[in-house]
Amino acid sequence: MTDANVSNRLEEAFVRCRDLDVPLADRLQAFANEVRRLGPHFQAAVDALVSRLAQSSAGATAPQVGEPMPAFVLPDEQRRLVRLEDLLDEGPVALAFHRGHWCPYCRINIDALARVEKKVAPDRRHIAAIVPDRQKFAMWLKSDAKAPFPVLTDMDNGYAMTLGLAFYVGDGLKQMMVSSGWDPSVSQGTDNWMLPVPATFIVGTDGIVRARFVDPDYRVRMATEDMLAALRSAT
Amino acid sequence: MHHIRYFLAVSETLNLTKAAERCNVAQPALSRAIQDLESELGGELLRRERALSHLTELGQRMLPMLRQCYETAHAAKMVAASIRKGEAAPLSIAISHTVALNRFTPTLRELSRAFPSLQLKMHRGSGSEIAEFLKSGTVELAIAGPLGVTWSRCDELTLFEEPFGLVVSRTHGLVDRNEVEFKDLASEKLLINTGCEMFQELRACLEANGILDRVTHQLATQEDVLALLKADLGVAIIPIGAVEASGICCIPLKQLNLVRKVSVYTVAGRHRAVACATLFNTLRAADWGFDTRTKQQRRAHQ
Repeated sequence: MTDANVSNRLEEAFVRCRDLDVPLADRLQAFANEVRRLGPHFQAAVDALVSRLAQSSAGATAPQVGEPMPAFVLPDEQRRLVRLEDLLDEGPVALAFHRGHWCPYCRINIDALARVEKKVAPDRRHIAAIVPDRQKFAMWLKSDAKAPFPVLTDMDNGYAMTLGLAFYVGDGLKQMMVSSGWDPSVSQGTDNWMLPVPATFIVGTDGIVRARFVDPDYRVRMATEDMLAALRSAT
Repeated sequence: MHHIRYFLAVSETLNLTKAAERCNVAQPALSRAIQDLESELGGELLRRERALSHLTELGQRMLPMLRQCYETAHAAKMVAASIRKGEAAPLSIAISHTVALNRFTPTLRELSRAFPSLQLKMHRGSGSEIAEFLKSGTVELAIAGPLGVTWSRCDELTLFEEPFGLVVSRTHGLVDRNEVEFKDLASEKLLINTGCEMFQELRACLEANGILDRVTHQLATQEDVLALLKADLGVAIIPIGAVEASGICCIPLKQLNLVRKVSVYTVAGRHRAVACATLFNTLRAADWGFDTRTKQQRRAHQ
């Protein structure tokens, strides 16, 4: 099977897994299983990356519960500049770092977040996604999931890097991603081949982190139930 | 982040002791941090020798990327600090006379909202003046047509392309035409902006189409071209970005296919204050309808 062929099948698998009526973790797992089945060579490189990240404790230095979330000014998909403090003026917020519009796990995750947002928005609790993708691609990710929340652009993973969440993809995986049509250098507008560890921070109106989820294994994301609970209990 | 800072110091000093001094850290700590970075990047970055260290091939290859990462992360940190302290946010930029400001006003409005203490200092100038502003450090960032500078530290990022068009006043005889040809201009007086970045290309275009001799009035800025055009001293061929706000008419001119790029220019390695770093990233992130990298980047999603 050619790489292009694999990527078409993965796209079909993505749609199937996104639309499953099961919890987020199960949808992500279902897609991971498809990747394992369709591209075993890809899987080995991914496993190597995840274990490398786990060994170097990627994300370990990101803000802990009880610590302040550093301020940011990032453009949203409509070219508005969004500050963390503006978001917190509205109420507690969940900041969800994603890898990019090209990542099926992120697309499944954003789809799940869109459903969460509907439940918490009436309570003045919100979500904001952060991606290293430029505006056009951030907009695509948002419309793909019909997400009501902003998708902010973190150019060059600058903000993610200050939190210790950015890492280099590595030469081997880079080649495989390019040949499968997953080329973040186009959407990021840089050849850095850096990606953020997907992570979620629930931040209270005082700017203090109330809950966090950081896992170097990008196939695992914060459970929507946990996020809902943390957002609801945050003040 | 400090790993990267240490590595950058070694790449500049090529000496571990000097790099450690510069970073204000003990040498073993610096060496350990670089080893961590090496394991993260999956290979050796340095060939260590007693007096001089050299960058390996991987080190050379990673250097620009690590430098950019460091600068971006540093800027993000400064943004956080500046917001916390409510510091003044000065911003010096230059925009070419030929670039209409209206495409950038929404971005500047956002910047002023995000940084209430923004203090904007905006210069206007011709291409050569803009290049000089950048070189001398008078401005941190510039937006202009092709500057033609061969200065290696000048970084250019194209935002969008803008075609040239024939413009006439609202009372001009050609105003009701759906389309005109170069020969229709044989009896017109042409106004030309000698300060336009594309002056030579425009001149060549007029010559190729046999109407160079119709150039009657030479002006130094586009603003003056527009003022005299409105006063019916002649017609002009200018980048059409200026048309929207100026109350003049643009008429399709057959066989005119002169296009220019509008780019953002910065100087590599120079410190950017928070407002400039944010403006630059906002310009980079935005969709200007032009992409130098048009290769197929996405699979069919349907």
